[in-house]
Amino acid sequence: MTAISHERRQAELRKRSSGRLMIFGFLSPTLAILLFMVAYPIFSLVYYSFFNFSALRQGAMKPMGLKNYKFLLSDPELWERFVFTGKFVFICVALQMLIGIFVGYQLHKNFRGRDLVFTLLMMPMMLSPIVVGFLWRYMLNSEWGIVNFLLHSVGLPKVDWLGQTNAALWAAAAADTWMWTPFIVLLATAAFRGIPETIHEAAEVDGASPAYKFFRITLPMSAPVLFIALILRLIDSFKQYDLFVALTGGGPGSSTETVSFSVAKTAFSYFYTGEASALAVILLVIIIGLSMILVRHLQKMSERY
Amino acid sequence: MNPTRTSAMDRAGRWLVLGLLVAYTFYNVGPIVWLVLSSLKSRMDLFTMPPKIFFTPDLTGYQSVFGVGVAKDSAAAIGVFDSLINSIVVSVSGTALAVFFGTLAGYVCSRFNFIGKGDFMFFVLSTRMLPPVAVLVFYHLMFARLGLADTRFGLVLVSIFANVGLATWIMKGFFDGVPKEVEQIAVVNGYTRMYAFLRLVLPMVKGGIAATAGFCFIFAWNEFAFSSILTTTQAKTLPVKISAAAGSTGIEWTQICAAGVVLIVPVLIFFYLIRRHLLMGMTFGVLGRR
Repeated sequence: MTAISHERRQAELRKRSSGRLMIFGFLSPTLAILLFMVAYPIFSLVYYSFFNFSALRQGAMKPMGLKNYKFLLSDPELWERFVFTGKFVFICVALQMLIGIFVGYQLHKNFRGRDLVFTLLMMPMMLSPIVVGFLWRYMLNSEWGIVNFLLHSVGLPKVDWLGQTNAALWAAAAADTWMWTPFIVLLATAAFRGIPETIHEAAEVDGASPAYKFFRITLPMSAPVLFIALILRLIDSFKQYDLFVALTGGGPGSSTETVSFSVAKTAFSYFYTGEASALAVILLVIIIGLSMILVRHLQKMSERY
Repeated sequence: MNPTRTSAMDRAGRWLVLGLLVAYTFYNVGPIVWLVLSSLKSRMDLFTMPPKIFFTPDLTGYQSVFGVGVAKDSAAAIGVFDSLINSIVVSVSGTALAVFFGTLAGYVCSRFNFIGKGDFMFFVLSTRMLPPVAVLVFYHLMFARLGLADTRFGLVLVSIFANVGLATWIMKGFFDGVPKEVEQIAVVNGYTRMYAFLRLVLPMVKGGIAATAGFCFIFAWNEFAFSSILTTTQAKTLPVKISAAAGSTGIEWTQICAAGVVLIVPVLIFFYLIRRHLLMGMTFGVLGRR
């Protein structure tokens, strides 16, 4: 009796320890690379942010306390970057959600050649953002660009798209929206298709109008998925960098520099490494905050589905 | 409301919807068509007003990307083909390793409970959200110190880190779709968990591994920020090379458009192959499980 239970206990222990070995062995490569490539750099950033330090003169490190942060937060130019980034994010996310939900709703029913239409529709998303930036810069050229040609041929005035701050903001938003609306279409379509047909049928029987069905049934029922799309676009457009490098180069002047662009410029053009670290930390805090909302939501969804 | 009026409104609404869809299609497809057309234009045809729709195709742009023909020796073409090779080497090896590590981690996250699992999963996913320029401030120093600056190995390392989180989450999603009974039955029959993982579970998620690889490849292939800051001459990838060429000698639009087309072709193929799993990849394996 005791012998059997002892043997079973041994087997149980062996199983458990093999599980532990598996957990450890399988997680350690990922954990190691992430600690080395994420945790270590972030701790170092926080450390450098307290110093007056330049990558060019690595010998001279002067402790500054919180002066880098104080300087940045009282710098009107930085606030301009945040305001610009905020405007860009708002326009992009609003346009992408509106157009994406509209197109997604029109395409959510089955039709012939659906896979092909979707692959073609997704094409802007497949391009490298740097190519997207150059492509739009090429199309938006004020003299020989196709966009101004089309505007002119329907009798509208030509616009110096990349030469004026406001026009450049809308140009960048148009390029980002072009690239990422397909992403919203994809998620919205999936969300709409996930709603059981019986609910629509029941609404039909009750004589609900199409608008009522859309706003009171379809939209609320797909809200959790649309929320994922919203947060992801919020994060991605907030840290947008590549597009601006190719499209505007931050210009005219420095009026289209996003916060990310500003970090890169401070670190790799001026080599104010300490200040750039402090700015990077501020950027990280915002992004991590947004990510936490996203991950909570994802984990909840993961349990439900 | 009388029936004729409703149907008239319905018809107007339908025309409006159709009109908006046509406008969106034009906005969506137009620039791609223009990219392909421009990649085939000679420098003369590029700037004509009104823009030419019909013209004799000119392959100079593609020649300068692949380093062949007349355009091979032009200033803008130097090193472009090498950068294409760099892009292939870096994204293929980065993808392979990220998927390998991500598969292992994803399996553990799907099957076991361990202390700090929630924190681990958050940490892993948050790496996907990181603004590249933020960590680059430090990478720039670290890579110089470790001799990794301007090497393919350094870029592979970055590419693993940038994709392993995504791979872990997507693979967890695919493993969640495999019933736990598979391993339970195997263990009851005297097989080890390792055997069950390698011989039973892994073959069941083959499609998932391929889809995950497709996603990681697309991100690695199009990556710009890391490669642009961490390379100077040798290890430049194609997206970096074309942007650098644009800065120095006036913009070679034909070449940029041709490079854009070359860059999109493999992505298009992967997209089509993994189209059934797109949703899964886009929502970190949470939705669209099959």
